[in-house]
Amino acid sequence: MILTPEVLAILILNAIFTIFAIIAFLLSVKIYLKWDINSTSNAQYQLEKQSVLAATIIKYIFGVKIPLFLFFIFTLDKISNVLTGAMCAAGVVDATEYGTYLIVLKIINLYLFASWLKLHAEDMKDKNQPYTKPKFRLFIVTFFLFITEIVLEGFMFANIEIDKMVSCCGSIYSSSANSGISALFSITTTSLLALFYGNYLLIVLFYYLKNRYLFAVANMFFVVVAIVALILFFGTYIYELPSHNCPFCFLQRDYYYVGYLIYGMLFTGTFYGFVVGFINNSDINYKISLLFNSLYVILLLMYVFVYYIKNGVFL
Amino acid sequence: MIELKNITKIYEESKESSVTALKNINLTIKEGELVVLRGASGSGKSTILSLIASLAKPTSGEVVVDELRVSKLFDSFASAYRRESIGMIFQKYNLIPSLSVSENIILPLVPLNLHVKEVEDKLLSVLEKFHIAHKASALVKNLSGGEQQRVAIARANINNPKIILADEPTANLDEKLSLHFIEILRELKRDGKTIIVATHDPLFFDLDIVDRVLEINHGVLL
Amino acid sequence: MRAKINIYLLEYAISSLLRQKFKTLFTVLVLSALIFLLTSVFFIANSIKYELQSTVDALPEIIVQKLGGGRHYDIVTSAVDEILEITGVGSASARVWGYYYFENAGVNFTLVGIDEFEEQYKKSFAYAAKELDFSRPTMMLGEGVKSVMDKNYYKEYFNFIKPDGTLKRVDIGGVFSGDTELESNDVIVMSKDDAREIFNMSENMATDIVVKVANEDEIATVASKIKLLYPDVRVITKDDIKISYQNIFDYKSGIFLTLFVVSLFTFFIIIYDKLSGLSSEERREIGVLKAIGWSVSDVLKEKFYESFIVSFFSYMSGVVLALFFVYILKAPLLQNIFTGYSQLKTSFTLSFVFDMQTLALIFFLSVPIYVAATIIPSYRGATLDADEVMR
Repeated sequence: MILTPEVLAILILNAIFTIFAIIAFLLSVKIYLKWDINSTSNAQYQLEKQSVLAATIIKYIFGVKIPLFLFFIFTLDKISNVLTGAMCAAGVVDATEYGTYLIVLKIINLYLFASWLKLHAEDMKDKNQPYTKPKFRLFIVTFFLFITEIVLEGFMFANIEIDKMVSCCGSIYSSSANSGISALFSITTTSLLALFYGNYLLIVLFYYLKNRYLFAVANMFFVVVAIVALILFFGTYIYELPSHNCPFCFLQRDYYYVGYLIYGMLFTGTFYGFVVGFINNSDINYKISLLFNSLYVILLLMYVFVYYIKNGVFL
Repeated sequence: MIELKNITKIYEESKESSVTALKNINLTIKEGELVVLRGASGSGKSTILSLIASLAKPTSGEVVVDELRVSKLFDSFASAYRRESIGMIFQKYNLIPSLSVSENIILPLVPLNLHVKEVEDKLLSVLEKFHIAHKASALVKNLSGGEQQRVAIARANINNPKIILADEPTANLDEKLSLHFIEILRELKRDGKTIIVATHDPLFFDLDIVDRVLEINHGVLL
Repeated sequence: MRAKINIYLLEYAISSLLRQKFKTLFTVLVLSALIFLLTSVFFIANSIKYELQSTVDALPEIIVQKLGGGRHYDIVTSAVDEILEITGVGSASARVWGYYYFENAGVNFTLVGIDEFEEQYKKSFAYAAKELDFSRPTMMLGEGVKSVMDKNYYKEYFNFIKPDGTLKRVDIGGVFSGDTELESNDVIVMSKDDAREIFNMSENMATDIVVKVANEDEIATVASKIKLLYPDVRVITKDDIKISYQNIFDYKSGIFLTLFVVSLFTFFIIIYDKLSGLSSEERREIGVLKAIGWSVSDVLKEKFYESFIVSFFSYMSGVVLALFFVYILKAPLLQNIFTGYSQLKTSFTLSFVFDMQTLALIFFLSVPIYVAATIIPSYRGATLDADEVMR
C-alpha cells in the first residue's frame, strides 16, 4: 500500500468526483427516459433545470480531470523514486497488473469527457436542443467507464508494494519483453514510418476533400499510430539513445517536460479530428485538428533533424 | 405583437394549497401600443408581465411574441430573448446600491463579454437619453429618488428593447416624480416601443398616451 | 469550451464578494489558515528531506552493524579485513561513535572519532581531520554543541565523564560551520583514541563498519555476501536509508494531511450549509439578474468565478504566509513535528526548496474541493424562480 500525500490527494478528489458523478448519472438516466422538449409540463421544466446541473457537474469534473491527469503522471514519477528498480513512471505503471489498463482507460475517458462537452456546446446552440438525449446516453456510458477508472486507480495504488522489484522502461519497452509490446518492435523502421506519414497524409487529404467521416476515422487511427511511432522511433531521437523507448521518460525535467507538449498536441489534434466526424459545419474543428496534428509531426521531425545535424548520422 | 393564448397559471405553494393566478387569459397587444393592466395586488397583473418576459412558464397555454413561442424557450434562449427584447422596470427599481450608476446600467450586458468599446457606446447613449450622464460614476445609494428612477429606466433600455414592462412603477413615488415618469414613457412610446404598465395608480387611467386599459381581477380579464 | 475570461463578470463577482464582506472574510480567513498550516508543514518537510538526502548521498554505500538480541553492539575491527576481501568492495573502515549524555543540560551529543590519515566520507570530518591537533585531546564542535557548552561555562575545554566515573578533559579546537547544518549541529569530532576512551571501548572493537562499493549495481550483492559472512550482523544500504527517510516523511505528512482533510470536510459542510440558505437579499439579486437577461448558466458562471476567486486567493495567501513563516521566521513550533528526536534543536537554516509538485498538491487539495462544495448551493440559487422578484 502506498500512501504518499499526493496519492491521498488524488484519492480524495476521486471520492468527490464519484459522489458528483453519481448525481449526474441519476439525473442523466431520468432525463434520458423522460425528456420531451415539446412538453410544457412542470416536470419537463424541472428536467431542464436538472440538465443544467448535470452539465455543470460534468464540466467541473472534466475541468479538474485534465490538470489532475498531469498531476497523476507527476505522482507516478515521484513514486518511482521509492520503488526499487523504477526510474520513471513506466516502472510504476508496470508495478501492478492494473497500471497499463488504467492509463489507457484514463486517456479514453479524457476523450469521452471532451466529446461530451463538445456535444453539449452544440446542443445548447439550438432552440430545440436536439442532442440532449444522445448527450445523456453518452454520459451514461461514460459514467461506467469513469467509475471503473476510479476503482482501478484505487486498486492500483493499494497494490503497489515498495519492496517488489519492478522493471524499468528499458526492459519493458524493448524487443526482449514478454508483452505484446515486443511484437511491436518487430516492425521495421521503414514500414513504421510509412504507416505514420501515410496516416498523416491521409488526414491532410481528407481535410481537403472535406470528408467528415474519413477524416475522423483517420484521426482515430492516428492516435494509435502516432504513439507507436513515438515509442519505437521518435522517442529514441529525443533520448538520443537507440534503445531508450520509454513513453514516459520525456515527461521529466531532464527533457524539459517536452512530453506534455507532445501528448497535448496529439490529443488536441486527434480530438478535434474526431469531433469533425459527428458535428456539422465544423470548419474550425478541421483547422484545429490539422494544425495540431501537423505540429506534432513537425516537432517529432525536428528532433530527428537536430540529431542528424548534431551528429551527422541517424540512429 | 404579443399574444397570450388560453393562458392559465397555477402556483403550487405547497402540496395542498395552490393559487390560481390566471384563468384562461386571452390577450393580444399590438406593436407600439401602450397598455395599462389595472387591478389590485394579487390580481394577476404581475404574472402576466412575468409570462411575457418568459420569467415564468404557463401551466397551460402559450405566449407568442412576434411569432416566437416565448413560453417554450428553455433557459438560455429565454434569457437571450429577455436581454434583447424586454426592458423591465420594477416597483422598487432593484438597483444595486453599492455599485455606481454605470455599473448598474451595464448589468444586462455583463455575461455577453462584449468588447469594451461596444459597451461604452451603449452606455453613453443611454446615459444621455435619460439625462443621467453627469452622475455616471456616482454610487446609486447616494442618488435622489428621481435619479434612481432614471437609472432603472436606463438599465431597462440599454439593449434598446422593443418591449417595456413596468410593474407598479409609481407606487413609491410622489406626484412630481410620477409625472416625470409618465413623460419618459411618452418619449419611449414615441420611439415606437410597446409598453405594458401594471398598476393601480389612477394617474394612468385617463392618460392620453394610453391606448388601452385592461381590467384584471382574480386572474380573469374583465 | 474555450471561454475567454469575462472581465465584466469578474468585476461583478469581485464586487459581489465585497458586498458580503463578513461571509467572504470569514471564508477567506479560515481557508487561508488551513492552507497556511498545511503548506508550512510541507515546506518544512521538503527542506528537511532535501538536506537529509544530500546528507545521505555523502554516506558510504553500506553500513555494517553487529546485532545482539535485536540491539546494536560493538563489532570486532578484524571484520574490516575480511570484508575488504569481498570482490567489489572499494574500501572498508571501522567507525567509532556514540552518544554522550550531558546531564547538566539534559542533552545528547553525538561523538565521532576519526583517524588522522583515514579517508573521511563527510566533509565536516575531513575538515576536522585537517584542523585537529592529534597530539593531545582536542575536538571540533557543531554549533549547537558549542552554544550548549558555552551556556554551561565550558568555553575552552570540556570534561567528559568516563564510564568508570573519572574525568577526561578535551580541549575545544574549533567549531563546524557545517555545509549541512543538520548533520553537524549536535556533533563532536575527536580522535578515535579519545572517543574510545570516553566510551570505554577496547582497541580491537568499533561501533560499526562502513563499506564503500565502487559500482552501484553491486551494492546488493556485496551486502548479501557480508550477511553470509556474519549472520549476526545488520547490513544497511544507502538506498534503504533514502527510502526509509522518504517513507517517514510521507507518513508524517500523511497524518497531518488526514487531519487537514477532516477539517476541510467540516468546513465543506459549513459552507454548504451557509450557501444553501441564501438570504432574501441574495435571492432578490439573482431574481433581478435573471429578469434583466442573465441565464442560469450565466449566474452559475458568476458563482463559479466567486468561489474560484475566494479559494485561489486563500491559496495564494496561505502559501505566501507559509513561505514567510517557514523561510524567514524559521517556523517556530512547527519544526518540532519533524525534528523530534534530538534535544539539541537550536536554529539551523531551512534551505529554500522550491517544489512545484508540493504547490500543485496543495492547490488540488484546496481549490477544487472548495469549488465542489459550492456547486450544489450555487445551482440551487441560480435556478430560483425569478418571478418571485416581481411580487
